[in-house]
Amino acid sequence: MSENNDSEGERDMEASKRQSRTVLVFLLLVGFLIALPFFMDNRFYLRLATEILIYGLLAMSLDVLLGYTGLLSFMHCAYMGIGAYTVALYLKFVDPASSWWFLMILGVGATFLVALPIGWLQVRTGGFAFALLTVAFGMMYYTIVWKARGVTGGDDGLIGLPSPDITLGNWVLGSLKDPISIYFFTLGVVLVCYLLTKRIMHSPFGAVLESIRENEERASFIGVHVHRYKLMGWMLACTLGGVSGVLFTFLKCSVSPTVMESSAGGALLMMTLLGGVGTLWGPFIGAAVYIFVQDYVSTMTEHWMIFLGLVLIFLVLFTPKGIAGFRDSLLAGEKK
Amino acid sequence: MPSDLTFWVQTIFNCLGLGGLMLLIAIGLNIIYGINRVINLAHGSIYALGAYFGYTLVAKGLSFFWALLVAPIMVVAVGLAIERSVIAPIRARPMLYSLILTYGVMVTIDGLAKYIWGVQPQFIATPAFLSRTVYIAEIPYPFYRFFMLFVTAGVMVGLMFLLGKTKMGITMRAASHIPEMVSVLGINMNLVHMGVFALGCALAGIGGVIAGPLLTVYPMMGHEMLISCFVVLVIGGLGSLRGSVVAALLVGTVQTLGYIFITDYAMVVVYVMMALVLSFMPRGLLGEGKFE
Amino acid sequence: MDILRIEELSHFFGGVTAVNRVNLLFVENELRSIIGPNGAGKTTLFNVITGRFPASSGRVIFRGRDITGRSSHEIVRFGICRTFQKSSIFSGLTVFENVRIARQAWHGGSHRIFSRRDSLKAVHQETQAILERLGLTEKARLLASNLSHGDQRLLEIGIALAGHPKLLLLDEPTAGMSPRETEATTQLIRQLARKVAVVLVEHDMDVVMSISDKISVMHQGAIIAEGTPDEIQRNELVREAYLGKEE
Repeated sequence: MSENNDSEGERDMEASKRQSRTVLVFLLLVGFLIALPFFMDNRFYLRLATEILIYGLLAMSLDVLLGYTGLLSFMHCAYMGIGAYTVALYLKFVDPASSWWFLMILGVGATFLVALPIGWLQVRTGGFAFALLTVAFGMMYYTIVWKARGVTGGDDGLIGLPSPDITLGNWVLGSLKDPISIYFFTLGVVLVCYLLTKRIMHSPFGAVLESIRENEERASFIGVHVHRYKLMGWMLACTLGGVSGVLFTFLKCSVSPTVMESSAGGALLMMTLLGGVGTLWGPFIGAAVYIFVQDYVSTMTEHWMIFLGLVLIFLVLFTPKGIAGFRDSLLAGEKK
Repeated sequence: MPSDLTFWVQTIFNCLGLGGLMLLIAIGLNIIYGINRVINLAHGSIYALGAYFGYTLVAKGLSFFWALLVAPIMVVAVGLAIERSVIAPIRARPMLYSLILTYGVMVTIDGLAKYIWGVQPQFIATPAFLSRTVYIAEIPYPFYRFFMLFVTAGVMVGLMFLLGKTKMGITMRAASHIPEMVSVLGINMNLVHMGVFALGCALAGIGGVIAGPLLTVYPMMGHEMLISCFVVLVIGGLGSLRGSVVAALLVGTVQTLGYIFITDYAMVVVYVMMALVLSFMPRGLLGEGKFE
Repeated sequence: MDILRIEELSHFFGGVTAVNRVNLLFVENELRSIIGPNGAGKTTLFNVITGRFPASSGRVIFRGRDITGRSSHEIVRFGICRTFQKSSIFSGLTVFENVRIARQAWHGGSHRIFSRRDSLKAVHQETQAILERLGLTEKARLLASNLSHGDQRLLEIGIALAGHPKLLLLDEPTAGMSPRETEATTQLIRQLARKVAVVLVEHDMDVVMSISDKISVMHQGAIIAEGTPDEIQRNELVREAYLGKEE
């Protein structure tokens, strides 16, 4: 018996060593991200880094949906779009001088309100039916946004939007027009979201979501109200998507239907898969890789999509683990 | 609301035409799912390939009718290559894999098509013989559209014969219900799977070629057709061929009428239909589908 | 005291009457086995009781409460847990987590989104207790998919136990197990039956005859005989329908 205790003790020590290592790596990474603007003079690359953070957040939210709850969406970009457009429309038509936190609440709130009834409908299904529904609704949103020229500017979108200042109480910390300010602002928001989400996914609640992902039927036979939990996982994913949308509009001071078209949905899925499903941090890497490749390779050739498609095929065939490590069993849960 | 007969007769035939086209492609998708148990997201791109091959053949001087024969064969060749190289290995794995994989195939084919043929829409020249206008009781109607209906109907009849009367067809149908029995009977399942995939691609290829002169050939044509096909499959019930016929006509009608009366938001109606059926009647309108 | 009463329960689907006006009464502290040839409807019966399939007619009354047509997760809450014929476990999770999540789902705490999983101490401890009982403690950190078939069947039982059931439905628990594993599992089930009402669907006649208090025989969706193991062995009808053809 004492042998058991010893190996238990050893294992616990291993686990906490691993944990401190993870924390260390995380702190180093955050440190690097904070230091980034100071050794990167190029404004363009700073903006690109900000964009990577935003898409990383969106890809992470898709990971919550796919990697933790086991639901596939081909059009998750739609929820970034709703957040982005809500803020843009408000800035353009109602109050260009809104504060950032009001806009954040507005954008996220709008996304929440749209995602709730749609999610309720969608979680009654799963697997492929669910994925198709995401396409149906995603295309619906896109068509509405694209065609309502008068309001949303149609194809051209809305441009020339004002940037709110970053205020904390009565102090003005900076303007979001400044690339460094918006980088730090985005980094802050993304970090908070990441830490919160990580906490939630490692909680008892997260465990329930995982059980649904692994074996939905079994989950209901251990007493889990599967629909309700799927809905909650969905809402978390969409809300985070809404946050990324708000950040997007703050960064670009514009928005157009391209953020929510079907190729954007596919690109997002690729980012999440490339980076590694089920990790939360992997999608950030996937976003970085995807955006770099798109930015860099596309200057050499317009046909980089061929390359990306092949990468995806390769990933599925040989390493369904992505870059960060994709639990094979994640997809085993789909087997019924 | 136009009440004149001309408009309605033309519109009805248009609905039939579009529905028939969708049926061709949707059936391919349906049998690939029903028998091979793979959801082929690249199916729309294969349809587009058919159109592109048709375009190239005609542009190089081949007559349209020959193109109608040769292009689907080329498409089948490409399809079989895909099936053997990437789809067969993952057939045993859970469905999510095949979704993502065929998505990757779709992206690759779309990219290659853009690379080879460019982004500009192309036109397949309709042969002069088919470009006339015909009169049904004094109502003008493009002969080409009749030809399209004719081809679709012909293919459907051929398909029914194939599935109903030939050994290969019966084997395929058996494989969709009880695959284990079929392999126990000593039939090579690999061949069955290849045959089914080839058949599906052939249908899509034919659809692509005949759609070419009508709808123009452009990179996104596959995506749009794919979405419409999924709507057809959902409404008709995945795995139900009869359901596909009914659903294709329904969706073709809704889409045609939609574009006439509410142009911009026509597809929204289609999407709403799909969402409603998926959410509340996952087995399709006729209740024969297998949307687990 | 009856724990489960099934009245005139039927289930038809696609032209087949899988369960045909079944009447059954289960009492506490009883180990009941349901036997019958393949296709007799035993698993379907379980499916209807546990809410996986709807009842076409009839009622299922559990501890005085009509649970007919209720959803599966509700029925688990009421106190009926089951295992499946084909192991239905959480393949990508560890053995420990498989049981832990089942325990958590029943015990509560799933609404906690900001605490850590191991902060649910009671759940943790009870999980360890269950694993010990099953002899799976050594394998607690293995991925469930890496377990041997026999251990997976055992885990299946563990997951069901974690739901703190008053009634345990076991569907062919020893299917595919080696003789040694079967013996161990049989002992386990016998022990479990002292605290929990157990209903067993089994094909292994040795198991059935050795531990059952009472046996119900199903054939083509209906109950054709009921009695003690001895009575059943001597029953002509049963012999004809089933035992005679069993190897």
